Amino acid sequence: MSRSNPKLTRRHLLKGAAAATGALLASAPGVSFAQKASTINFLRHRAQVEPITILINDSPWFPGFEVLVNNYVDATGNDVNLNVTPFAGMLEKSRNAVQGNESEFDILNLNEQWYMQFYAGGLVKPIKEIKPDFELDPNVIEYDSSTRWDPNVRYSTPDGEIYGLPINGNIQLFFYRRDLFEAEGVAVPTTWDEVEAAAQVFHDPPQMHGFTIRSKPPNWEYQAYLESYGTSVIRLDVETGEWSVGLTAPEALEATNVWLNLGRNYGPANYADMGQAENLALMASGRLAMAHMVGAAAPNFDNEDQSVVVGNVGADVVPGGPAGRATMSGIWVMGIPHNLPEARQVAALTFLEWALSKEAQLDYALAGAIPVRQDVYEELAGDEKLGWWMKAMGDSTPYIKAQPRLAETPQIVEVVDRRMSQAIIDELSPEEALQEAAEEIQAILEGGGYNVTPLE
Amino acid sequence: MMATSAVDMTRQQRWRLSTFLDANFQYWALAPILIFLAVLTLYPVGQLLRMSVSDMAFVKGKLEWTYVGLDHFQTLRNDPVVPDALKNTLLFVVVVVCVEAVLGLLLAILVSRARRFAWFYRSVYMIPLLIPPIAIGTIWRLMYDYNYGIINQVLFELGLTGPLWTANPDLALVSVMIVDVWHWTSFLFLIMLAGVESLPYELSEAARVDGANEVQVYRHIFFPLLRPTIIVALMLRTILAFKVFDQIFLLTGGGPGTSSEVISLYIYKVYFVQTRLGYGALLALLTAVIMSVFVVFYQWLNNYVNRQR
Repeated sequence: MSRSNPKLTRRHLLKGAAAATGALLASAPGVSFAQKASTINFLRHRAQVEPITILINDSPWFPGFEVLVNNYVDATGNDVNLNVTPFAGMLEKSRNAVQGNESEFDILNLNEQWYMQFYAGGLVKPIKEIKPDFELDPNVIEYDSSTRWDPNVRYSTPDGEIYGLPINGNIQLFFYRRDLFEAEGVAVPTTWDEVEAAAQVFHDPPQMHGFTIRSKPPNWEYQAYLESYGTSVIRLDVETGEWSVGLTAPEALEATNVWLNLGRNYGPANYADMGQAENLALMASGRLAMAHMVGAAAPNFDNEDQSVVVGNVGADVVPGGPAGRATMSGIWVMGIPHNLPEARQVAALTFLEWALSKEAQLDYALAGAIPVRQDVYEELAGDEKLGWWMKAMGDSTPYIKAQPRLAETPQIVEVVDRRMSQAIIDELSPEEALQEAAEEIQAILEGGGYNVTPLE
Repeated sequence: MMATSAVDMTRQQRWRLSTFLDANFQYWALAPILIFLAVLTLYPVGQLLRMSVSDMAFVKGKLEWTYVGLDHFQTLRNDPVVPDALKNTLLFVVVVVCVEAVLGLLLAILVSRARRFAWFYRSVYMIPLLIPPIAIGTIWRLMYDYNYGIINQVLFELGLTGPLWTANPDLALVSVMIVDVWHWTSFLFLIMLAGVESLPYELSEAARVDGANEVQVYRHIFFPLLRPTIIVALMLRTILAFKVFDQIFLLTGGGPGTSSEVISLYIYKVYFVQTRLGYGALLALLTAVIMSVFVVFYQWLNNYVNRQR
């Protein structure tokens, strides 16, 4: 809502001047219609809304975000300030912002592992309370309802209200050495069994490793194995509102055994200490045939300064198990703090709506970021430079699964990380690790006041 | 008459106040530091105590406190990580403090006896202490890397298979200890060197003139005189080692499993990652209590040594 002001202001004067210039341009001979339209559009957009400040993390996709913001400023004339913060300080800054009388930030960038704290606590504003007729473009991927919150079941469900809008579409992909697969005539695996069969072909340590798992921390990629076997860490029955822990299911044991087998037998000797950076380094240095890692890793393999396998890496949807394929989301959503004056909320939403448009997302992707629109993935699937992994990203959309999204998620994730790490180093058997993890997670859910099905 | 009496009263009162202030000046002089202490120490400790019996949640932008009594103690009793973290922390403290003290003392003695380039040795041994911990963690993480690290590359060139420095649960904490010893020995070296160089040279010379050999000089003169310095150095280093965080955070993250989990890192995870503010406060209090035990022990040892002297 903009305040009415009967006095002539600088803004009125600028608007009048812009209108006069627009009229002159429209009548000017020798100027094409398209040029006229874009110039008028530009003038019409000049400084329409309040300046905004965005809290954004310093990350590999930040340069792409910076391009997005610069394009917005150029196109609309609206001012945007960026508060660039390391990942480690993002949660603290976000939390501090929503506690005061008025947030210093107009947009908070919220990670998948903590956005729900902001939704559940009403710390970010439901989008429809800012713009009642807001409709999310169906091409914007919602990443298993990460945009929504249903207070009745205290979870992100398709029926929930929209609280945040996705800005970074991190999901997992399956990367493989296309040149080696072609040379050996091996088909790209679609199941974990096929991954093992292919790993047997290529595994020749220490020069070449068949496959690696991420073990530091393991939870994110490990959950894709669980989902592909038809279970998950926790699951909500939306009908009854009852939660259950899926780690004691027989499918969880099968999935864990597959994960351990692939990691231990086809990875490097330090399989118990493989983080994302180590997996990436192995693949980029030409010593890894297959990996299951974040899609955002793809540009690294095309970077001639970092990679000896430029042009030789392929990407596909993460392979699956008996229940099909699954890729876990690890996205970022942008939320508008509850403690903002209305004009600033409108300004923030204006930016977000623009940022999610197809044109903006195309430039965003070309600048190295991970877009959040399906039509952008489809269009870029044919791109000479990015097509090899953009297609895989688009193909993965039907298989996207959410991580646990509760206020207690960090606790749950810590349990999964610790217990699976103990299983990797054989400190616990897979059965013990799953049982211990299940009991701890059950206790966390019960302690949080959730309605939980007793453990199997 | 009345007016004179009133003036006298006022003078008397002023005199009394002035006398009172003068008589108790030592206490008034202490007031600023006491207020400073109360604001910066007692208040945070009080808050920590309050937090440890509360649950806190951010609701509509406000921090809401709920009194939960001793619930967090129950959580502590059932927490499977805390015993491992405490065991690892104590092991880490004992090993690194002992090794660093011995090495620090040895280096201090050698440097104090050096006839040439003593300034050079002093500067070189100080270098690890000057490097930011974040850089140390990163450098060593790269050096320890099993596939690309320089240590294993050198071993490979020598025909040896390098160990899984940070991936082997039996070796992960040892790997961190090696880095800690490399980093912090210089701290103890500096304190010990100051102590060694302040010892009266005449005493040892007199002992030698009286026929004492080097071992006897060290045993009966050198070490007894150096004991207070050693105790203070050990106390400081123990406190710092108990709070080890950055090296473990960067090198192992507490893993694999819980093989290198320490209490400071676990508090960080509970407090900042899991946002369990109340339980995190209880763990912080627990750590403070354990460290206080160390401090009291060293104070007692110091007093005991002083009495012996």
